[in-house]
Amino acid sequence: MRSPVEWLSRGSGPRRTGIALCTAGVALLWAPSLLAAALGLELVAAAFWWWGRAAEDAPQQVTRWSWMRRPATALWLAFAIHAAFPMLAQAHHSVFSARGALLELARGAGTLDLFRTIAAAAVVWAGLELLAALPLTRAFSDLPGPFLGVRIWLPALLPAAGFAVLWRHDEWTQVAAVRQTAIVLLMITAVLAALRAYARRAWTASLRWLVVTDCALAALLVAGGAVTPTATLLLWLAACGAHVFLLAGELRGSAPRRGAQITRLWRAASGVALASLAWPTAIANGPGHLGRLSGVVWPGIAFTSGLAEWITVGRMVHAEERRKVMRADPALTLTHVAALLVLVLGPFALLVAWWGGFEPHWRESLAGLLPAVVGAWAGIAARQSRPRGVWGRLEGVGVASRGLARRVFALVVYIERRVLAALDGLTGWIAGAMHDLHTGDAQEYLMFLVGLAVLAVVLPLLR
Amino acid sequence: MTGELAKRWLETAPPAAPVVALAAGVLMLSLERRGRFDASALGAAAVLVPLAAAGALAPAAGSTGLLLVLGLVMALLARDRDNLLQSECTIKLLWVLGAALALSWAGVMLLSLATGTPVVIEQWAVLNLGLDPDFLWRTALPISLLLGVVLLGGAPFHFWAADLLQGAPAWLAPLAVVALQVSGAEWLAARLSGIESFHAGARAVADLLAIAATLAFAVGGLTLLVQRRPERRVGTLASLNGGLLLARLAFAREGLGGAGVIAGIVPRWSSHLVLALSGAAILARFLPVADARPDTPPVLFRRHAVAGIAGLYALFSLAGVPGTPGAGVWLDTAHAATRSGRPWVMLALTFAWIASLSVAMRQLREAVGIAPRVAPPPEPVPWQARVALGACAAGLVAQLKLWK
Repeated sequence: MRSPVEWLSRGSGPRRTGIALCTAGVALLWAPSLLAAALGLELVAAAFWWWGRAAEDAPQQVTRWSWMRRPATALWLAFAIHAAFPMLAQAHHSVFSARGALLELARGAGTLDLFRTIAAAAVVWAGLELLAALPLTRAFSDLPGPFLGVRIWLPALLPAAGFAVLWRHDEWTQVAAVRQTAIVLLMITAVLAALRAYARRAWTASLRWLVVTDCALAALLVAGGAVTPTATLLLWLAACGAHVFLLAGELRGSAPRRGAQITRLWRAASGVALASLAWPTAIANGPGHLGRLSGVVWPGIAFTSGLAEWITVGRMVHAEERRKVMRADPALTLTHVAALLVLVLGPFALLVAWWGGFEPHWRESLAGLLPAVVGAWAGIAARQSRPRGVWGRLEGVGVASRGLARRVFALVVYIERRVLAALDGLTGWIAGAMHDLHTGDAQEYLMFLVGLAVLAVVLPLLR
Repeated sequence: MTGELAKRWLETAPPAAPVVALAAGVLMLSLERRGRFDASALGAAAVLVPLAAAGALAPAAGSTGLLLVLGLVMALLARDRDNLLQSECTIKLLWVLGAALALSWAGVMLLSLATGTPVVIEQWAVLNLGLDPDFLWRTALPISLLLGVVLLGGAPFHFWAADLLQGAPAWLAPLAVVALQVSGAEWLAARLSGIESFHAGARAVADLLAIAATLAFAVGGLTLLVQRRPERRVGTLASLNGGLLLARLAFAREGLGGAGVIAGIVPRWSSHLVLALSGAAILARFLPVADARPDTPPVLFRRHAVAGIAGLYALFSLAGVPGTPGAGVWLDTAHAATRSGRPWVMLALTFAWIASLSVAMRQLREAVGIAPRVAPPPEPVPWQARVALGACAAGLVAQLKLWK
């Protein structure tokens, strides 16, 4: 008789177990409790691990996705702090700085603020790591997931989980230092993800990185706090949902690109959804809301919006029909319904935002919308080669710019890895030196104890 | 006094947990003897009884009980001279505990000399008069507490618990560790009895124990993260649990130890530890040493996954994973630390908990391993070990229900 673990490890067991764990985990992420979120991330990590351990190259897959326990651990930390300080959930504080909290702590006060900062940093860590915004796991969207059946789009789940964490537990926006750090990291992530999406030739690979871009932009909107949480969620759902649907559709015979009409519909829907998200994000992180920091962040968001819009609109091409005998499809398929839903959802979310008090100045609006519009226009124009001849001459520039985007991304990842390796080496060196201090002999423990006792005698005398 | 304390103790934590741990110990002992229970085994089993009782009722036994526990552990460890690991473990314990005992007694004598009385409560009254120079009692008091801190296994004295878990047999190690740790708590309580009447001393002791607890959490957490051997991980988790008790004793009425405080804190702590440690120590015997490359699961998880999960539950409880009775022990200490107004202790405690949680999860993954491609090995894990694992887990589940 096989044990439960053996049974779950063979045949269709891993597939079902992983899907069950992942579904439960993702569902828990949307619950308001930090315990549920920590448990949810733990379950998602467990799903990846379970799939990985059943894969053909199990040792490699398990090691590759082992980092997913880190975000879960960060959320456990936040949960533990909230459990130890129940008053954290009740108190509503204005924005305060982490430096101030540390100074207060040095004076013997400010314990609550310090732990609030740590809890906020832990939540942000969890969200950012899943969003590929930390150097530790920057390039995971380049890798297929551990589960053979849905390997291609599985990593798209992780940025969505990251956004869920940052959106649902947005108390981190109340801690100024954490919020500002997160904004800068998210901006860098959005830029790098857009560059990577541009550099990759395969449409599925580009879509995976566009999902990261969408989630980073949506998280920037959460940090900016310019629109209501409901509107933020709907905007993210439209933009990210469109790209995830397209990615899943690629696994089903490229259904969203089968036919000129549906391709045009999806192009319009995903373009509008992305523009709807990019517009308030740019405003929320503009000079009016973010102050001097917007000088760094706003150009990044504008660049990302334009490039992502270009890729979304310009790269989606009609998939040629290779079958000689066509199957009779219904006039309205699920793909059509989803495209129409995405098309409506973005503007509807903006309506909800306006209803919630989002009324930006027309200059801000224009500046926020312009990059996305230019990107979309350039995408359409390049695809139609109008004005004639211009795009043909720019083809060489396109190839070179893709190479440049690839090299920029690789350079950033290389630098980050070198810095991390240096830190790891330093830690190892210190730990090694400390480890060498003791031999593990029994006499050594005696000497240590006697030394400590002598210290205990001498210290009060010195005072 | 002793009878009343024992009564209060039994009211707080009925002795079911030590009895279950004792049963698990006897089962493991019978496994070592391959089912043959000769006179030597019977003697060893008889020695386990006072150890389990010490885990449950050490404060009622006083200093004599402490010496008895020390003697019994040493005697049992020294019995098997051919076992190198066990002998080394005995020597280390003998060196450290012997020296700590001698130093602490020297501290006690110094206090007696300074105050002119061996009665602890009277010593505080004399010191409160301020007749003696401060440095005398400030030197003597920490030294007199040294044995308690060493026995509780808080870092930098965390090595002995891991050594014992690795070196001593599975039937002896958990009971011995808990008995020694409870004896340490008893030593602290006895030495600090009535110190509330001497404010300067109470404050100094609270600071001292808070520093010791912070160190225990920080160093213990770091040690845990780099350990690869399951037995040593369990041992370090036990020492972290010792740190928890240290923190509770430090913050219970601001360092005021004494019989009343110890009867309110230790029974619950020890009844959980004895069960969780027994389960986790048995489990550790069936787990492989961690490797960078994931491997197939050990036979316990391939053939008897339910027993393996029961063992993991005990390990999780030791690490304070939510959903286990151990989480309550960790959370109670965290609440005490937050109330104390010492954020550094809380920071160290948070770090230790996160390290424990991470290691528990890592241990789970290492135990379950990667999906095997070949049939499981024919030899099953002996029923005694499986029953012991199940009994400990059942005890912990019952505790969880009771404490809720």
